[in-house]
Amino acid sequence: MAEGYIVEMRHITKRFPGIIANDDISLGIKKGEIFALLGENGAGKSTLMSMLFGMYEPNEGEIWVRGKRERIVSPSYATKLNIGMVHQHFKLVSNYTIAENIILGIEPKRRLAGLLPMVDLKSANEKTAALSERYGLEVDPTRKIEDVNVSTQQRVEILKMLYREAEILIFDEPTAVLTPQEIDFLLKIIRGLRDDGKTVILITHKLEEIKRVADRCAILNRGRLIDVLDVPTTSTQTMANLMVGRQVDFSVGKPPAHFGREVLRVDHLTVKNRTGFPVVKDTSFSIRSGEIFAIAGVSGNGQVEIADAVAGLTPAASGTMILNGKDITHAAVRERTDLGISYIPEDRQSVGLVLDFDLADNLALKTYYRSPFCEKGILNPAAFDAYGEKLIGEYDIRSGQGIRTGVRSMSGGNQQKAIVAREIELESPLMIFVQPTRGLDIGAIENIHRQILAERDKGRAILLISLELDEIMSLADTIGVIYSGELLKIAPAERLTTNEVGQFMMGVKQA
Amino acid sequence: MTILTTAIIDGLSFALPLFIMAIGGIYSERSGVTNLAIEGLQGMGAFVGALAVTLLAGVFPAGSQAPMYLAMLFAMLGGMVYSLVHAVLCVKFRADQVISGVVINILAMALTTFLTSQINATVLGAPSNKFVLGTSNRFSIPGLSGIPVLGAVFTNLYPFELIIVAVAFIAWYVLYRTPFGMHLRACGDNPHAVDAAGVEVSLVRFRAIMISGALSGLGGICFAYSISAQFSPGIYMGYGYLAIAGLIFGNWQILPTLGACLIFGFARSGGFALTQVMGLKAAFSDLFMILPYLITLLLLVFFSKSNHPPRALGEIYDKGKR
Amino acid sequence: MRRTNRAKRAFLAVMGDEKRQRITIPVFAILLSLVAGAVVYLILGKNPITAYVSFLQGSGLLPKSSYAAKKSMITDLMSMLNAWTPMLFASLSVAVAMRSGLFNIGVSGQMLVAGLITTVTVGYADLPALVARPLVVLIGMAVGAAVSALIGFLKYKWNINEVVSAIMINYIVRYAASFVIKYFLADPVSRQSRAIRDSARLSLMDAPVGGLKMDIPLGIILAVAAVILVWFLFQKMRLGFEFRTIGANPKAARYAGINVGRNLVVTMALSGALAGLAGVTYFMGYYGSIQPDTLISTGFDAIAVSILGNSDPVGILFSSFLITVIGKGSTYMSSNVGVRQEIGSLITGLILLFAACGAFFRYMLARSRQRQAESERLTVQADDGEEAGA
Repeated sequence: MAEGYIVEMRHITKRFPGIIANDDISLGIKKGEIFALLGENGAGKSTLMSMLFGMYEPNEGEIWVRGKRERIVSPSYATKLNIGMVHQHFKLVSNYTIAENIILGIEPKRRLAGLLPMVDLKSANEKTAALSERYGLEVDPTRKIEDVNVSTQQRVEILKMLYREAEILIFDEPTAVLTPQEIDFLLKIIRGLRDDGKTVILITHKLEEIKRVADRCAILNRGRLIDVLDVPTTSTQTMANLMVGRQVDFSVGKPPAHFGREVLRVDHLTVKNRTGFPVVKDTSFSIRSGEIFAIAGVSGNGQVEIADAVAGLTPAASGTMILNGKDITHAAVRERTDLGISYIPEDRQSVGLVLDFDLADNLALKTYYRSPFCEKGILNPAAFDAYGEKLIGEYDIRSGQGIRTGVRSMSGGNQQKAIVAREIELESPLMIFVQPTRGLDIGAIENIHRQILAERDKGRAILLISLELDEIMSLADTIGVIYSGELLKIAPAERLTTNEVGQFMMGVKQA
Repeated sequence: MTILTTAIIDGLSFALPLFIMAIGGIYSERSGVTNLAIEGLQGMGAFVGALAVTLLAGVFPAGSQAPMYLAMLFAMLGGMVYSLVHAVLCVKFRADQVISGVVINILAMALTTFLTSQINATVLGAPSNKFVLGTSNRFSIPGLSGIPVLGAVFTNLYPFELIIVAVAFIAWYVLYRTPFGMHLRACGDNPHAVDAAGVEVSLVRFRAIMISGALSGLGGICFAYSISAQFSPGIYMGYGYLAIAGLIFGNWQILPTLGACLIFGFARSGGFALTQVMGLKAAFSDLFMILPYLITLLLLVFFSKSNHPPRALGEIYDKGKR
Repeated sequence: MRRTNRAKRAFLAVMGDEKRQRITIPVFAILLSLVAGAVVYLILGKNPITAYVSFLQGSGLLPKSSYAAKKSMITDLMSMLNAWTPMLFASLSVAVAMRSGLFNIGVSGQMLVAGLITTVTVGYADLPALVARPLVVLIGMAVGAAVSALIGFLKYKWNINEVVSAIMINYIVRYAASFVIKYFLADPVSRQSRAIRDSARLSLMDAPVGGLKMDIPLGIILAVAAVILVWFLFQKMRLGFEFRTIGANPKAARYAGINVGRNLVVTMALSGALAGLAGVTYFMGYYGSIQPDTLISTGFDAIAVSILGNSDPVGILFSSFLITVIGKGSTYMSSNVGVRQEIGSLITGLILLFAACGAFFRYMLARSRQRQAESERLTVQADDGEEAGA
């Protein structure tokens, strides 16, 4: 291969049980460039970089760093090779200061009275401050992690890498948790790092960011390397097509909507988090039968809290919610289910399912107390089984041992199918979908999109919450854009362009 | 000696062994491992210490204080070795930490009771369920002990009280000032961060639990000397659980825990003193022993918001889980 | 190397799948402990087989070579059943809480309160047995339920860890009971509470039956009924389904519309009622009096017994029986073999220790199985490949 590559991956293959995550991937990364890895969820980007960072070892292939073949057996070995990684979930000690987090594991020491070893916090603070200054990271070394926001925590992770003298910096989906301003700030930092001679690898599925900062971009699809492109000379559309592996058609053939009566009305809803901070502020909207009302927004702007409040999992601090003319503001979760709310939650494994139960029990999780599943407090196992068999057939849920399969052992796609089946079968007038396709592959995504549309056409009111703008643009009849807990704009989908929605998502009030 | 002086002296000699066991608990729990095993660890430690003294009884001249220091050393060793069971179960075998603690207590009581009787019968040829320890000498610090009222703090001290204070200071220093202590406390908050920093979480936790065992053993043998001057199954009075109450009361921090243990100690000795002064039956002292537990419970009710157990306490750390 | 592999595979095959492991793992734990116990016997120069047989003889499961007057295998058996009753209740108590994801480490305290209050209210009262005994049972259940429900309420209302509050309450109860016993109830000779009236006692002591004198635990009928009821609750009832859901995933339970807070208190009350029954069958039945200054170990042993029985009522029937046999048989074993009877609790302790490793065995077995499956899978591509390892 050509010279000048700081990292080379040659014929890398990585298998997990039942899946080939990376299939014979070869690529080279130049010193001092911003190299992006683009691909959908499950394309294998994170897996590939986890191998560079020593979290897994490849089944086949070689990794060369600075012209030398390396077996990167652990993250600490990667650190020795001056490779650093910022993960999606930050690894920070919440009750430690920023400086303490940064020095953890390689503490500067001094000796008390020339004898007893102790951590030299003064020097830690100074070094942290100096590094922060140099790269414009703007952090205060003495503040505790639990007191600073997500964006600052991310910058602490960057500082941790720099403190360990990382030259190759891997960012795994760094903007997913950030507000638009924070994204701007981060991208500026990343450019600064490159200008200082660092090599940056950016894992993302957002084309716009790549366009803004990356020099080159590798496109992965279903574990295979599709192409490596020079970013400034390639159009966004080309990249999008390559990423998805076919012509991207943003205008999904969606039959026209027929709106009926109002099903859900939310008035002046305010929701507070545990610390009493309002995360949803004075929000009002309504959904009619036969309508998909989608809430667009950057993660963490209050959209999930709206869904939880409507479903009854989070109490409303003020405001009212009316379902089919009935005030449900103070109703219990069970009552709301009975009145007609289905809910596909964001976190399918820890909320939507009981992983230790079998499929039959999980499919009856919302109906077990009703006849025929339960009569006078006594359960009827035959009803569970019959219902389970019926849903497995109708919704094509695949599992090793049918209704007796432990849900834990099922694939993510089939787990989601089970939840969707259970919730759709409730035949509720209102259905809430939160991130219904997160982490699924294209086939499963299309399947779920079809089901959402089918339910709409049966006259259900649908509340869709998604972080994927494409999903919202292709499904929604009405779009509400949320920013910092407020619905800044509510308008029929055909009157908004992707660009306008993006503007509102960033908190710009006038489009 | 006035009643007040006695209360202070007794309160202190009860509070300090409790404190050192609680510090052990803090080490374990701040590293993220629930430790309900303190009761068993202190009993096992006291057993090993007492056994060493009994077996070596002929070596030292009568009245020598050396066996006591030897007992402390062996008690720490015994507690440490026995704590490996908890460490292996919790860290390596991924057992539930509460269950492990309970089982270790049951096993400690069974094992030490059996061994004490069996060794007395077969090795020493005298059927008995206890090992008799010598009495510890006591001393007063000249000058300081002459101060009115407060002088009681420096009067009639057991030597172990000074040792405990010294060990406690070292334990404080290690926990809050050294890299090891920093790793340990980080393990209890976010073990993933520690792992990412290249430090082996299971190793830190292993060491933390072993320290916990050693300190519990020390506490146990001190109780054996101060309360009954012997080792018998009566050592399992539940003081290990009281130490846990102390560290919860002290919010998993060493200095506040000292305060909690002192309160507990003085509540107990004050109770005894009060029953004496008021001429009440001895049974009333039991009512005073309720206080430490009741106060801790009420504290949890009224200040549950400001009581912060380590964030990762009780979680099994799975390296592969991201 | 190949030999260890084959042994490993054979071991895996014997241990079976997850369902069978519910039985094989506890049995494996018990065998391990018996082997360990045998080693101790061998070190002491005794025959372990004789020793283990004496345990069975001592608890009336095998005939002894000779019996004292008015005694027989039946009397030994009845006496063992007398001791088994509270252990069975206590283990059920722990299991009910555990299935709902809660730890009731306060069983000993709840037993003590139930025993003390029934002693004070009914134990010395001049009431006919037909009134006194049901009263003891009812008051015991109510008291146990109340104390335990308080623990549930503290968790529900202030999020206080139930292990911590139960430990505090255990010791509050212990000292309070000691005071009451020493101050009001003490027998000057035995220094424990005065013996209760026979009319209030839940075990008929030294009852003459067919020329023999034996102890008849009336509570055992209740205990067996409780096993069936608890089994029915968890297998067949809606409430049990809700308990299990909360135990497996409280977040999902809330999402499914289950009132988690209320169920928490209900579970603990139920667990406490069983602990109360354990208390009255112990203090008002088996023992007939209360010692001051002690928390009996039954409540703590019950935690491990429940684990050994997989928190399953039927499993507990066996595990609590085994532990009682060892405890009860140890006296005869001691006199017969000449080893201190405390070795009985030692073997019990070892069984509980290995039982606590159950999670590890399960984990290891699951991992070995997964490895086996993986190596097979590499050759056959699975058809269902959603969600890459991202």
